Amino acid sequence: MNYPTWDVPLIGSVWVVGAIAIFHVMISHFAVGGGLYLALAERKAVREQRTDWLEVIRKHSKFFLILTGVFGAVSGVGIWFSIGLASPESTSALIHNFVFGWAMEWCFFLVEIATAGVYYYTWHRVDARTHQRLGWIYAISSYGTLVLINGILSFMLTPGDRWLAAAGTGTEPAYFWSAFFNPTFWPSLALRTLVCCSLAGVWALVTASRLEEHLGELKAEVIRWSVRWLIPSFFLMPLAVLWYWSEVPENSRHLIQAGVSTIGSGLFTQVTRATLVTAMTSATILAIAYFLAWRNPRDFHLGHAVAVVFLALAATGSTEHAREMIRKPFTIGQYMYSDGVRRLQVAELNRVGYTTASPWNHSLDVGQLMFRGQCLNCHTLDGYRSIRRLLNGRDRKGIANMLAILHDQPKTSPYKNFMPPLAGTPAEMDALANYLNHLANEQQAVAGVSRGATHP
Amino acid sequence: MATSSYPAPESPLRSVYRWADERLGLADLAAFAAHKRVPQHAHSFWYYWGGISLLFFVVQLLTGILLLVYYRPGKEAFESVRQITYDNDFGWLIRSAHSWSANLMVFALFVHLFSVLFMKAYRKPREFGWWSGLGLLSLVMLFGFSGYLLPMDQLAYFATKVGLQIPGMIPGISGMVEDLVRGGPQVGEATVQRFFALHVVILPLVFLPLLGFHLYLVQKHGNAVPPGEARKPAAERRTIPFFPNFLAQDLAMWLIALNVVTILATLFPWDLGKMADPLAPAPLGIHPEWYFMSQFQLLKVVGVIVPGFGGEIAGMGLFGAATLFLAAIPLIDPDSRFGRRAKIAAWGGALVMIGMIVLTVWGYAAL
Ligand code: HEC
Repeated sequence: MNYPTWDVPLIGSVWVVGAIAIFHVMISHFAVGGGLYLALAERKAVREQRTDWLEVIRKHSKFFLILTGVFGAVSGVGIWFSIGLASPESTSALIHNFVFGWAMEWCFFLVEIATAGVYYYTWHRVDARTHQRLGWIYAISSYGTLVLINGILSFMLTPGDRWLAAAGTGTEPAYFWSAFFNPTFWPSLALRTLVCCSLAGVWALVTASRLEEHLGELKAEVIRWSVRWLIPSFFLMPLAVLWYWSEVPENSRHLIQAGVSTIGSGLFTQVTRATLVTAMTSATILAIAYFLAWRNPRDFHLGHAVAVVFLALAATGSTEHAREMIRKPFTIGQYMYSDGVRRLQVAELNRVGYTTASPWNHSLDVGQLMFRGQCLNCHTLDGYRSIRRLLNGRDRKGIANMLAILHDQPKTSPYKNFMPPLAGTPAEMDALANYLNHLANEQQAVAGVSRGATHP
Repeated sequence: MATSSYPAPESPLRSVYRWADERLGLADLAAFAAHKRVPQHAHSFWYYWGGISLLFFVVQLLTGILLLVYYRPGKEAFESVRQITYDNDFGWLIRSAHSWSANLMVFALFVHLFSVLFMKAYRKPREFGWWSGLGLLSLVMLFGFSGYLLPMDQLAYFATKVGLQIPGMIPGISGMVEDLVRGGPQVGEATVQRFFALHVVILPLVFLPLLGFHLYLVQKHGNAVPPGEARKPAAERRTIPFFPNFLAQDLAMWLIALNVVTILATLFPWDLGKMADPLAPAPLGIHPEWYFMSQFQLLKVVGVIVPGFGGEIAGMGLFGAATLFLAAIPLIDPDSRFGRRAKIAAWGGALVMIGMIVLTVWGYAAL
């Protein structure tokens, strides 16, 4: 344990990161797709000499600038802040492995936000061609940021065999490109590109729905043109998902099937459930886009547009959640577990102890330290994945048995697929068992009789 | 050789339509839909709740049929629900959707009830719409009560046991409750079998015709305009065509409702407790479903004020009075000419609604 732990009651550090990330994904993908939207819309307006369109695009670019420049940038920093606290070890590993990648990302990002501002403030101040060029510079640089982050995010799920062979030898950075263009790089890029296009359409509907009533004809045109941005997703999304799915490790693919047949508990079913929510909300967006926006563009109001935005939020959120879930118990596939322990390190820690070298063990007892270091990352006491609830009435002996399974990882362990191996010496495990026993049995909560909704 | 005596060729779709139209009179229907208009005003939002309730009912019908494929009443009731929840593909989803949609339907119906009440849509000539609506709501609550027992887990067992004690207290019919509803001195296999028959045969048999009647009346009289709106001069009142405009908005509401059901059912699936065991001690804080909570709490509160048998009678009397009042509203306030009587209806309705909300919240707080 090199770092202090971050204890967020009820929702857990996972959901702090998760909430920020979902918000960020909605906006950052819009920042990419919307750039392309602005460039193409402006090109169309200039070619057809439509000044009324240009005015709509100008308004949209203001909305765009505020949304992406303020909320996108702030939530992006928020992600760094929160993952640094929640998973310091993984964050450090990503930074060290992709130094060059982050540097490039930074350059693209700088160009992106600079041009976004310049683009908006030079409307009608520079000639049409220059302004269009600015639009294209923005579109290309923002797509560049997507390509880079996609390489790193897909690496976390599938680092690829070559990089994994080098992992732990100190030569990892030499395999930068193979890590970057890892097995899920391309399908994931395809998926994200489609999402960007759809979100560009979705957010454009917000601007278009607010056009005044007397501009009915213009409103109808803009709405229909925006709805078209959803068409690529409509046809290609299923294919992209299948492609992605075929590159995902076998192990993770099983999760979907498991969740089809049972609510069971926990992880297995969450991937399926999240996928169902994505499917349902996406289908609804398409239905609204067709029946309400395309068929009746003049009656399409801000309320409808906002509903679509919320549906898109639900779809993005559940997809990202599913993607995070199939990576369990790793943060970096086959290399680093969610609790920040490296796979190759486990044997060593079992020998010398998990807490022994920790600079944080002055004030806490060993059991609690073990819990904070190895469990708190995914569990809370009473809220999300409550450890009290999940211990489910086990006594001291039952707890010790379960910890032994977590530690030894026998082939039959039901936990292997979603919980990392428990690292530590027998004495440390004993201390952890005591601590858990204290949580579960000495501070006894009312035995659950409520039959109602279970927590996800 | 083609001669001019042949008519111009029709598109296949067109000729199918003509074939059907000649026999069914579809053109009349289309013309009717084109003329039907829906008033548009500040309170139009409340018009959607009847349609939303209807959608939830359709969800109930479809998911209910799917559950029927695997559910086995009687001895195996619990086991079959266990299989649905844990073994059958997507069984958990169907069951969760059924439970969530049931709750949402009751909720939507209450919203519908009170919005009709406050928009005074029960006035002449819509009295039968109001009464049939109340009838539908009562049937839905019976659906809820009977459906709740079917999984036969601990909570279902004890909630039903407690629930049946209430009619069992009414002198004169307590024996009947025992024989007819419970099928014996204890809640058991026989009860499940009876509730099953009630839930999937008897109630639908009564419900569907009544629903048809209700919809027929809605169709016949059209949407009621609230009094404030009706007083405006005709030129200021706005309407939109039912087809396609109102229907498109209705569709949007349905989509939202459907998403709400799906999201709730997938993210918060309905779990199954332990198998019912009559010998086990009753779990703490046993309570009925939320839509029976206000009655439950009313009986409890009155029981404290007036102890003993008299309290039970008083509690039931109060509940009965509130129900009777609701049913009598169209008679109390039949017409816009009666200012004072309109006030009685509105304030009385508000009292019932607030009473229900307060008692429900109180009931949960007191658990
Ligand atoms: C990578 C994240 C992760 C970490 C780290 C983790 N768990 Fe879990 N754990 C899960 C998930 C996911 C579940 C399934 C949750 C559910 O059923 O809702 C779970 C379930 C459990 C259960 C219930 C198992 C059962 O039989 O139903 C217990 C007990 C538990 N964890 C204890 C621990 C302990 C103790 C630690 C620390 C040594 C730990 N977990 C670390 C993810 C994790």
